[in-house]
Amino acid sequence: MKCISCGGEISLTDRVCPYCGRELTETASHRSDLEKYRRKNESIKSFLGRVLSENVPMVVSSVILALLLIGILVAGYITENACHFREDAMRKESVKHYEEYSAKIRKYLDAGDYTGFAAFKEYHSIAEYEEPYEDLNLLWEITKEYTSLVKKVESSVVYAADAKRYRPQGDVLDCYLAINDFYQELAYQSAEIETDPYKDYIYDMKKKADLMLEIYLGLDEKERAAYFAGSEIDQKAYLEEVLIGDEKSDF
Amino acid sequence: MKKVIFRISIVVNLFLAICFAGLCIKAVEALHFEYIEQETILPDTLRKYLERGNYGTVAALSQPIRGGAEVSEKDADYYKLGEYTDLLFLKEIFEKSENADTVQECENRLEKLKQELSEYQDHLDRMEKSVERSRKAGSRQEKEDMVEEQKK
Repeated sequence: MKCISCGGEISLTDRVCPYCGRELTETASHRSDLEKYRRKNESIKSFLGRVLSENVPMVVSSVILALLLIGILVAGYITENACHFREDAMRKESVKHYEEYSAKIRKYLDAGDYTGFAAFKEYHSIAEYEEPYEDLNLLWEITKEYTSLVKKVESSVVYAADAKRYRPQGDVLDCYLAINDFYQELAYQSAEIETDPYKDYIYDMKKKADLMLEIYLGLDEKERAAYFAGSEIDQKAYLEEVLIGDEKSDF
Repeated sequence: MKKVIFRISIVVNLFLAICFAGLCIKAVEALHFEYIEQETILPDTLRKYLERGNYGTVAALSQPIRGGAEVSEKDADYYKLGEYTDLLFLKEIFEKSENADTVQECENRLEKLKQELSEYQDHLDRMEKSVERSRKAGSRQEKEDMVEEQKK
């Protein structure tokens, strides 16, 4: 904008011309508008300030509440899924330590300690169905049944002479099922076992299961053949005789 | 009105903060569980089976420690007693399947456990007898001899 008196450049907010010193009447309305807006702005600011200061504790409280709710949801989710998180972490760890773990697994297998192998595999959450452990898949399937068989026979036959047995009839059923599950799994997987890289260990596991039945359940080769040829009732009757025997009358 | 809402929100926040703290502790514990705890095999269960003389069950429940599972120090003895029975049970099988090295390892470990568990000598003796008894019960002839012996 130019001064109408001297033609010098003036701004809308100038009260007098900086060149000729004339009082600028043409900018008066702009200045008064500006002043009005400034006052309005100040009053809005002070109003907002007042509203804010009145509500700060409420706002803070709401923010804390929202954060706590989010925190509770997250902590709840972590608690619920902790075992999965840990399992996943351990699986990754087992892949990282493949060399070390596979050497240990080999040691258990060479020793014929398949229950030790099962305990090691379970504890380290080794993912037998994933690379690089996937070749253990079949061995693990059979080992699970073998471990279950060992546990059931062990629980059923090893007790003190004066022990208070919880459920001898249950032991009979557990043993019957565990024996069937193990030998059926072997029969079912026989074709796969033939081509499995760990087939020698699986055959050794069967040999050990046979020996366990012979030592603790009196099933030598001949008796075993007779046992498996018998009906379910015959098999249970045999196990009842061995596991409960003379104590039967006490239960 | 605002003040009332504010006070209620403070109370709600306090309650949520307590819940949050509790959940945080639970989450940390859950992330640091031990294998045995995960499997819900509690020392109380083991103690109960030990007292009742169900040594085979103690052995079966203790198998995870043979794979390296960690247990709290104060309960370790119960699991070791289970391991002792488990090894006695398995040793018979290893002997018959001619795993000479494994039998030797078993014997070494059994000897070590025997020393560590010297204060449970009574249980150890009973465990040995139980395994021996179960082996005899598996053999018909020995079972008949055993019954005869008991009758006498």
